[in-house]
Formats: sequence, structure tokens, C-alpha cells
Amino acid sequence: MKETTNKYLIAALLLGLTFHGTSIFFTLESTYDALIHLFFADHYANSWFEPWNYKWYTGFTVMSYPPLVHQSIALFSIIGGLKFGLFSVALISIILFITGVYRFSLLLTGHKTVAGYAALLAVFSSSFVETLHVFGQLPSIIGISILMHALPEIYLWLKTGKYWYLATSLSLISVTVTSHHVTPIFGMVFFIFPLIGMVIMDVAKETSGSIKSVNFKVFLNSFLKLFKRIISFGILSLIIIIGCILPYWINSKNNPITQVPIPHGSRDNFLEVTSSGLVFFLIPWGVLLILLPYIFYRYYSKRYLFFGLSITILTVLGTGGSTPIPRIVLGETAFNILTLDRFTLWASIMSLPLLGEFAYRFIQGDLKTLIQTKFGAVYHRISGGILAGLFIFMTIFTMSLGYFRPSQPQQIKMLPIVNFLNQDDHDKWRFLTLGFGDQMAWLSAQTNAMTVDGNYHSARRLPELTTRPIERLENSKFKGVAGIGSLQQFLTTPEKYNLKYIFSNDKFYDPILYFCGWQRLQQLENGIMVWERLNVPPVSSILPKEDVSKWQKLLWGIVPLLTVLIAFILNIQMLWVHALKTKIKKAPVFFSFKKEYSKFSNTILKLTHLWSVILAILLCFCVYQFYIKNDSQRSPENAIMAYYDALDFKEFESAYNLINPKSNKTIRQYMLEVSVTDGLLSSYAKLDAISSEIINQNDSLAQAKVITHWITPLEKIQRIDYKSLTKQNGKWFLEPDDIDTDLPPDQLYSNATTSYFNQGRRRITTEQTHHEDVLKQPVLEVLSAKLVKYNTHYAIIGEVQNIDNVPADIVLKGTLYDANHKELATYNAKYHMKHKLMPKETTSFKINFEGIAWSKTKDSIPHTFNPDEFTPVELEHQPITFNIQAAGNVSGSDLYKNVVLSDINFSEDYMYGTLFNSGLQEITVPQLLISYYDENKSIVWVDHLFIKEGIRQQRQQGFQYDLISNTTIKIINESMENIYVNGLPNEPISNKIVPDRIEKHLNLELQQINHPDFSYIKVETNTYIGNPN
Amino acid sequence: MQLKHIYIGFLGLIVLSSFAMIQDDNIILDLKLLTTQTEFESGSSITLKFSTSKMSDLILYCSSSYGTTLLSPKVEKSTITYTIPDHISNKSGQVQWQLINGNNSLSGQFNIIPKSDVATMETYIGPPSIEAGGTDYTMLVVIPTDRLDNPLPKNTLVNAKHQFLSSQFSDSITTNHIIAYKTIYSKNESGRILVSSESSNTNSKEYSITVFPAIPTHFKISAKQPHNYADGNQVTTFETSVIRDKLNNIVSDGTYVSFFITNSKGNKLKTSGTTINGVAKAMMIHPDHQTQWTVKGYVDGISESDPISVNFKQVIEDFDVTFSNNNRLISIGPLQSFMNQLIPDGFKVELLLYKNDKLLNILTKTSIDGYVNFNLTSNIATNDTYTIVIKSAGLEKAFNTINVW
Repeated sequence: MKETTNKYLIAALLLGLTFHGTSIFFTLESTYDALIHLFFADHYANSWFEPWNYKWYTGFTVMSYPPLVHQSIALFSIIGGLKFGLFSVALISIILFITGVYRFSLLLTGHKTVAGYAALLAVFSSSFVETLHVFGQLPSIIGISILMHALPEIYLWLKTGKYWYLATSLSLISVTVTSHHVTPIFGMVFFIFPLIGMVIMDVAKETSGSIKSVNFKVFLNSFLKLFKRIISFGILSLIIIIGCILPYWINSKNNPITQVPIPHGSRDNFLEVTSSGLVFFLIPWGVLLILLPYIFYRYYSKRYLFFGLSITILTVLGTGGSTPIPRIVLGETAFNILTLDRFTLWASIMSLPLLGEFAYRFIQGDLKTLIQTKFGAVYHRISGGILAGLFIFMTIFTMSLGYFRPSQPQQIKMLPIVNFLNQDDHDKWRFLTLGFGDQMAWLSAQTNAMTVDGNYHSARRLPELTTRPIERLENSKFKGVAGIGSLQQFLTTPEKYNLKYIFSNDKFYDPILYFCGWQRLQQLENGIMVWERLNVPPVSSILPKEDVSKWQKLLWGIVPLLTVLIAFILNIQMLWVHALKTKIKKAPVFFSFKKEYSKFSNTILKLTHLWSVILAILLCFCVYQFYIKNDSQRSPENAIMAYYDALDFKEFESAYNLINPKSNKTIRQYMLEVSVTDGLLSSYAKLDAISSEIINQNDSLAQAKVITHWITPLEKIQRIDYKSLTKQNGKWFLEPDDIDTDLPPDQLYSNATTSYFNQGRRRITTEQTHHEDVLKQPVLEVLSAKLVKYNTHYAIIGEVQNIDNVPADIVLKGTLYDANHKELATYNAKYHMKHKLMPKETTSFKINFEGIAWSKTKDSIPHTFNPDEFTPVELEHQPITFNIQAAGNVSGSDLYKNVVLSDINFSEDYMYGTLFNSGLQEITVPQLLISYYDENKSIVWVDHLFIKEGIRQQRQQGFQYDLISNTTIKIINESMENIYVNGLPNEPISNKIVPDRIEKHLNLELQQINHPDFSYIKVETNTYIGNPN
Repeated sequence: MQLKHIYIGFLGLIVLSSFAMIQDDNIILDLKLLTTQTEFESGSSITLKFSTSKMSDLILYCSSSYGTTLLSPKVEKSTITYTIPDHISNKSGQVQWQLINGNNSLSGQFNIIPKSDVATMETYIGPPSIEAGGTDYTMLVVIPTDRLDNPLPKNTLVNAKHQFLSSQFSDSITTNHIIAYKTIYSKNESGRILVSSESSNTNSKEYSITVFPAIPTHFKISAKQPHNYADGNQVTTFETSVIRDKLNNIVSDGTYVSFFITNSKGNKLKTSGTTINGVAKAMMIHPDHQTQWTVKGYVDGISESDPISVNFKQVIEDFDVTFSNNNRLISIGPLQSFMNQLIPDGFKVELLLYKNDKLLNILTKTSIDGYVNFNLTSNIATNDTYTIVIKSAGLEKAFNTINVW
């Protein structure tokens, strides 16, 4: 018999390569994982045998991920660069997957046409499309593909006992393990165990004559007959799994993952979080959902019984948090570490052979006959059309997922950032990106500069990161209190990490950067804002690393590619024969167990129909629910939700469409009003939660109380608004709000200011800055400083003045000591001070001692978001003394001082007043620093208030501040002994410049208050300008 | 037997030959240094010549502050010559040498002196900014070096020169321990000092020192107003006199001056300004009701002004309040200013809603075209009887038992 080419397989390969090969160029780079693999590849391209990487997380080892895919990309990158390598490996993975599915299907069904159909359908299967084009999990795809290639070899070894097959199967297992560690481990359980069961079944069938006569005894006998082969294969593959990536296992043992689990969508309850349900359940299953009855029916037939069990477990585990079973089965720890979507992926891949089989039977087999005789040819065509349509729809929908719901920010041009880092020794400091998404990995791959962040969370080492459920600092705004809290620690004490530059692609973070003492350096040509922090030392030239022994490095560098080489040599003959049909090869033994597709079960057809109807009803119900929930003007609640949603996403036109059309407010007027509002709430807030309560409602009018919770980078804001709604033509509309009608007296303003420019590098040279170009650090004077205990935590408060003639950027670092002069804690002043001071300007300050939050009690992580909240550091002993290191550096930026306290009044327990912006810049976030004084006019506490609204030029803005009450403040130490300015003692140096200081000069101007605990307060102002011009 | 003899003979030969070697070693050469010069100029070629009784290639051990080396000789009939390599002969300082010749080693030393001409002036100065007044100073450090980067000998004369305003100064200083230094004290004036130095006709580059003015002294303030009505709209500008330090220098630009305003209620308002040419300007919006301000300027801890007082006249004497739409719509106005013109938009009016003397709500609105309209919607006021107080421009009007339905 002449071997014929399998046209379906050829078609599948051609289609697959064209379809995926073209589209990866548009999708792969914006997937979640692809750029991370690119970063790893860059590591191997530069230092193949050295596993330590300094670029992320203050150093981590790449032995924390199997290397084969990364090393392959690195090898290809020699020819055409990293991205060439990435796409080449992606193309290889596509070929491997299609052929893998073909071979796996051939093994299961023994039918070439069926396998061809399976391969053809696999090309467009939504789970594969999603894994490649949405998740970008190349190692996972390659791992499972090679595993599928290994399955026929394993079958043949077990069945025939030829050592050749043992060698080929083991060689393929070794490639699998070096490309992805999880695949062979779970693959062993979910693919190979059922396969062994199938082999035993086949042997049993041979012994007993027919599959029907196989009973447990026969099965057991066959098992014992094959026991030696099974055991030898098991032991050898275990050795290979451990041996090939031994350094990985050693590293996992030495650095166990002790971090707080990071939430993953695949662990959600899919019924509650429908987006997770869509991405991690509906899409991977796709059309297979309709065929579930058929798939389960076939897999629970005697021969495939063990596959049936396996796919059942996979399906159930893949449901994530929707049912309690996965949590019970896997246990709490494994449940929180594993991403459960891979179970669904494997289940869907396991279903592919049967999908092929179904398609074969539907298109040209017994099912076609059955349907045509039962329902007629037209029904067959229509149902075929529907199925094909659904299948294509799922594929297109999955492909375009990244288009409609981008998982990544717009692609950022990295070149300006890379150039910036290369210039002027900027790469001697660490950097941080904000709002880059996974593209930060691509930036890291292109520069030598190091970042404190990273994109492979299993390798995180800093306790500031591992104790929080955040993947990256980068996207911390999506991670609530934990994220912003973590970020704030890095921003407040950057010198600890040598962090000097921040590249911000998200203006959300700007206020917190400013108030933590960062300043804008420049906007790069790609729109990325560079922030810098002064007084940060460069990274030392020798950095610590965790070294591993030489044999591990060699094994890691050599074995993975060696496994590919061996597998290639062992399997090339088979490939050659298969591909070119050079000789007629005896059909493999599994062909003899082929099922004859003669009679399609009537019951299954009925069941499938019933199941389809149920699914259709479910779908309709969901669509209806979706409509009811989203029809924005059906009820007052919907209208309010839609309005706030539109405001949150800055879709002002949609918001305007919800405003009462009879209110005489034109869209132009509305947009104008929107455009003139600025401030923390309108420009930097993200709507976190909204609840509305209808106070009263009749047919045409409604009054609602709307409680909104907003996340801002600085603090959590709760707002209560009262909204009136009217109903017109069956639709609810909101009444517009009043606007502030304040009219400044003039049209044109002029203002003379002193501005400063620091040359930076005066000479264009790469030499160290000449000594005469180094500016003198501005002299500061700490006027007062005290260690106080506020309720249960400690803080250093006081006042500091810039007594020099140039403006200064100020960094205050406080350290607490116990009675034995043992250091207890160190921290910097965060936003309880003005970081930029004009000559002779004074600011109050407070240094809070923040601990690494929740490092003790993992369970008590608050679910509510409040970046303002901090965890006081746990001190071993009572702090007795303290020291302050004040450092001044000349800075010419953010020196806007034109904010005026224009009115102040007091009520029982709060003060209210207005601020007036007397300058020419629009103030985005005004801040008040409120210092409390006792009856002796001695400072005892410092507090702050961020005002939610901005202040436009020459206009006023009201504020209200609740005075603190019911507190116990105890002054522990007010010694000014250990205070240093620019490394020199505070007192002598200030005596030189201000010898006859008028002590407590401004005490004359303290505001008296009527308060049980305090007698006076002082109000200072600080401003963040969002868009300086 | 014969073999034994051979052995003995052989051993005897070995013993003899060893004697011969010891003999050879013990021959002490008669060495003598021929070079008499012990001081060389750096950069010159230095050779040490020895006379010897026998041809020999002894090694010279040679040590200077830059390191130690071993030199092989050039051997001629009765003399051996050692040439000191450049890296030693280029550096000034003392060089020790030793010719190792058994127990009879010969040793000595010679000096390398720097070249007498100055090629470069290595100059350091700091701090780059000082304060006027004669107490603060900066320090110039000069290291004159020769062509080969050797510091010149002690007491080399250096001219430290600096220029300030119209005067130029030149001071002769001499080097000691490599450096020559000069402390340059500030004068009474602020400005810029240019500094350079010279030695043996070689000049350094120019360095500049900024002399900042010293701390400010007391000053005066004044207020400039478009009018003195409390219209809540116009802006008063406070201005300091030219602020100077005790030596009459105008304080540096950007000096922060805060202005504290105490109003009639005793509350403290605050504005601030930074100086340009010694004058700081600060602005403050007018209050919306009659009041008196006491204003004082401060440079914290350093200087202050005398207080001035500013009076604001009441601008709105009275306003009308009308109720309509079941008493739910309350209209206030016209609000008229001092010439009976409508008050500029944005004048603040407050509505306080009381029920049985209990404050329920405060509504604040700003005027448009002289009017303010409050709409008491049902979420603010249910159908009931209230006391409504309207506050504006420091005036207060109460309306008791207003029935809202």
C-alpha cells in the first residue's frame, strides 16, 4: 500500500502557519507573557552560563524558570535580534502544536482522516488562540505540544516493548521538561496515566478478544504483564524530569515561594466575576461546550475510561473558585499558587481528538447519515452552518479580545528611554516604570540599567514586595491599598534601593510622586515623563549575588539544548519518513484499535440537542440580564451608575447624554465645565465603589443619595452627592449640577518670579563632573525636632528652614534608637513636609516610621483601599533617642508658592476656610500642613489635608478640616543634639549663617484655637501643579 | 672491588667540585660607584656607573616612592652601567638603590628634583558660594606641577589672584607639603569673585565664587489696593521695602517673605511672596465683609516688618430675599456694590436650614448677575416648617417658621 499524504494535516499546517504566522506580529507583543520570555532570552543572549540577573528585583536567578524556550530565542537572536528569535520560536511552537494534535489524535482514534480533522480544527481552537495570542505562553504551548508528540512513542514502548520507543519517548519528555516544568508533572497525571490505562485496555482486548469481554481480572493481568515497562518508563521519566532541570528544583527548594499569593482571575468565582469566567472558562472551551455530552460519552467508553476520569478532573479543576471542589482537591496552598486556567487548557486540548472525530462523523460519517435520515439534509446543513459559524465566531472573538479589551497600555517607543538611560550615566541608578504593563520587560531587555521592579513575581526577593499580593509596582494602582502602599515605600525611601529615575506613562501616579519629594525632569519624545529624586547615591559597582556551583551553571547551559539535539536525532528518521513518504512504513500498532464509525448513538444525539437547548437558554438569559443591567436609563439607579461610569472613564459625551435635555445645558457648556475642573478627584481618581440610595421617587422625579468611593494615589476619598433625576419619555435623566460662578477681576495677569536653572553637566564630557561645577548643598536649619508618641506609634516632628540663598530640595531621614543606642528604625519624611523650599522658607515636618505592612499577619490584609493608611513599624524596644539627617540639594523645580490662606474660621471640632490662588499656574492638588501647638506654643503634632478640588488661577477654593481629637500625644525626647545637616552638626553650622536668630519668631502668628488638647495651630500650604506652563 | 674505587673516586670528585663552587662564590668583586651626582632633574636620563674588577652582571635593586624594580647592567670591560627607567626617573623624590653582591653589598641613594618650570596649575576651590560680611570664606588650593606632573619643591612661589568689584588682589603664597593655599574672605558687598593663580609665568584657568548677600534685616511693608471695599473680588497687593542685609546688600532673589494677616475676629490669614531685587510682593483677595486687617511681614527667625493696618468698608448694606414655589425657591438679590452696580459674579451666599434650632444643612452658592437662587429640593427639606437664615457679606437674615410644602 502506498503511503498517501494526509491532505488535512498539510492544509492544517499551511493554514496554521499563514493564520497565526501573520497575526502573531500584531498580537504577541501585547500579550501578558511574551515580553517576559523575551527578557529572559536577552539574559541568556548576554550571559548564557551565568544564571544571576541583576536587572530585576535587586537581583534574581533565572534558574527559577525552565530555560529551553528562552535559550532558543537567545540563539535565534544572534541571527536577527531578540524579536526575530521570539517570532521564530512562536512559529516553531505553532508547527509543533498542530503536528502534536495530529499525532495525539492519530494515537487515540487510529484514524488518519479523523486526526487530520482534529489538526485542522486545532489551528482555530479558541484555547490555542487564546494561549498564544492573548496570554503569549510560549513555553506552555511548546511543553504541551512536545508532550503530545511523546504520547504515541510512550504508547508504542508500553505496547511493543521496543527500546527504541523508550528512547524516543524519554527524549521528548526531556524536551518538555526543559521548556515548561508544570506541563510534564501534571501531564504525567492527566495525559500519561490515562494513556497507560488505554494501553492496558488494548492489551486486555487482545488477550480477551473483544473490548466487551474485558473485565477487571483481565485488566489486572494485562497490567501485571506490562508492569515492568510501565515502571521502567515511570522511573526513567522521573529521573529525566528531575535531572534535566535539576538546578531549578534545587533553587525552588532553597528559595521556596513564601510570598503572599497574588490573586489570579482563574481562581475567581466565574459566576460572580464574569470577565474571569469569559477569559478562563468560556473562551478556552468555546464550541467544545456544545459537544461536552459527546466528549464525555466517548471518553467514558471502556477503552478511553481513564481519559474520561482525567478530563473530568481537569474540567472540574478548571472551574476555579466557582465550585469549592478545586480548593478542596488541591489544598489551600496549591490552589493559591497554581493558575487554574491551565487545567481548562489541557481539558480543551484533550478534547481536540474527539472534536476531530465528531467533525469527521458529522461531515462524512455515520452522524451525517443519522441526521439526514432523521431530520433531513437541510437540517444537517443548517446545524453544520451554525456549528461552523459558532466555531469561527469564537476564534475571531478570541483573536480580537486584545483589541477590544487591551490587556496592555499602548505600545511605547522604547528608544527614547533607552537613550536616556544610556546618557550621562543615568544607568548607574535603578529606575522604575509606572503604567508600562508588561512592556517593562522589553525595556529591561534593551538597557543595562536595573530596576527595583520586575515582571516575574515568583522571583521577587525584597520583603516589601513578597509580603504583598502585587505582581509589580508598575501597575500598583490596580492592586488597591497593598499596591500603592508598596509603591509609597519605594518612593519615600528610594536611596535604600538606589532608585533615582521613574518613567511614568500614567499620570495617575503624579501626585504621589510629587508629594513624596520627586521632581519632573523632562518629558521624553515618546510622551513618557521622567521623574527624578535628588540625593540618591548610585548603585555600588559590586553587587551581592547568590552564586551557585559551576556544575549547575554548566548543566543549565548545556542540557536543555542537548535534549533538543538528542530528541531531534532520535526522531528525525520518523519525521523524515512521515513527511516525505520515502518508504512504506508499517502502520503503528494503535491503528489496529481503530473504532469503526458505523452507528452514531441516538441517545447522544438527543442529549446533545437537549444540552444545546439548555446552553441556548442560558445564553439568552445572560444576554437579557446584561441588557437590563446596562440599559442606562431604565431606572434612576441605572442612570446614576451609567453617569458615574462615564465620568470615571472620561466619556463625557455619554455622561452628557444622561443630563436632562431640558436643562438648557448645551454639550459645549457641559464640556467646558468639565474642562475647567481639575484636582485630585476629577483628574486623579478612579471610581472604586458606588452605591446609590433612592430617597424618594415618583413617576417622573427621583432624589438619590449617591455614595462614591474613589481611589486616588494619595488617599481614599468618600463622597456623598445628592442627585435629582427626572423621567422623560420613559427615560431617566440627571439634573445638572451648579457650577461655581466666581469671576476673577481681571482678564490678563502678570507676575514676576525668580526662576532657577541648574546646568547639571556644564561641560559636555563623560568625565566625572568637575569639582567647580558641583554646587554647594544648601544649608538648612532644623529649628525644632521632637520624638513623639501618638496613640501607639512613634513619629519625629519639627520644623526645618532653608537658611541658604538658593532654593533647596529637602530629604529628611529620621532614625530611632533605644536606651542602649541600638538602631530601631529608619524612615524618611513622606508628604508631611514641603520638599521644596525657597531661601529662608520654613516647613513643618513629620517622619512616620512605616513598617513592611502585614508581614506578620497575612490574614489581616484589609480589603478596603486606603493608601493614606500605613502600618507602623514594630519596634523591639521603646525608642528613647533619635537622629535626623537633613540633606539639601539645589533644585529649581516645583517652587510655586502662590497659594494664599484667604479665610479661616472655626467651628466646634473643625476649621473651614478658603484658599486663593494668587499666581499664574493652576493648582491641581493643594495640600494643607497643619501643625498643632500646646499652650507654651511648642509644636506637638503635624497633620495634613489634601484638598480634593484644584484651584484655578486667581480663584478661591473652600476647604474643611476636622481637627484631630481624642488622642494621646506624649513627647518622648526633644533633644536637638543629634541633628545633622548635609552631614554636619545642625547647631554650629546654623549659628554661622543666622547667629542672632529670633527664636520662635512666628509664634506670634500662631492661630489660637478652642480645643481640649491643643492651644494653637499653624496652617502651611503646599501645592502640586499637574500641568506646569 | 674495582667498582668500589670508582664510587669513591666519583664521590671525591663531587666533593671537590662543590668546593670549587663555594670558592667561586666567595670571590668578592671590587665594586665602586663612579657616578658622583646625587641629584638629578626629573625627566633627565639617570645612569649609575660602577667600576668592577671583573666582568659581572650583578642586579641593581632600585626603589622609589612609585615602586621597586630590579635592573640589569650594561657591561663594559671594567665598568657596569645601570640606566634608571623612565617611570622612576620621571618622578621627583628619593630613590634608594642597592647592588647585591654577597655580603659586600653596595647601596646608596639619590634625589630626583622636579623641573624648575611650572607646566600646570592643579587648582581646587571651594565652596563655590559664600556669604558677604567678611566672616565666610572660600579656600583656594594650588599645586603647581612640572611637565611630568611632579609637584614643585617647597616654597615655590605662587601668586594667588582674585578680583572683586573694581579691585584686584594678588597674594604671594608659597607651597608647603606640595600645596599652596589661600583663604579668600568675602567683603561687605555681594557679587562675584573671580579667582586665578600664577606660578613661574604659568597661569591657572578662571574660577568664580558667588558671594551671596547675608541674612535680611528689618524692612517695611505697604499695601496697594484698587479700592478699600470688601467686595470679595479685588486683590490687594502687599509689598515690602527693598530688603537688605546688614551691609546694605539687597537680599538674594527668591527670599521668602510671609505676610500674616490678623482679621477683626483674631483669625490669622497668610500670604507670601519671594523677593525680586529685594522687594517681595504678595497678594490677598478682598474679604466679602467689613473688617480690619493687621498685616506684618516676616522672614522667619531673621527679620520682620512693622505691622500695618488695612481697613475694608462694607460693600453690601442690605439684600432682599424672596420665597416662591411653595417656599422651595429662595431668591436673594439684587446684591449691589458700592456704586449700586451688581456685585461681580461669584459672591458667596450661605443658606442655613434650621429645624427647632437644630442646624440641618448649610447650602453655599455664588451669585450670578447679582442674584443667588436656592432650590430646596425634597431631599434637602421635606414638607415641614423651618427656620431659614441667609448669610452674606457678613450680614445675616433669619426667616422663622417658613412652611415648605
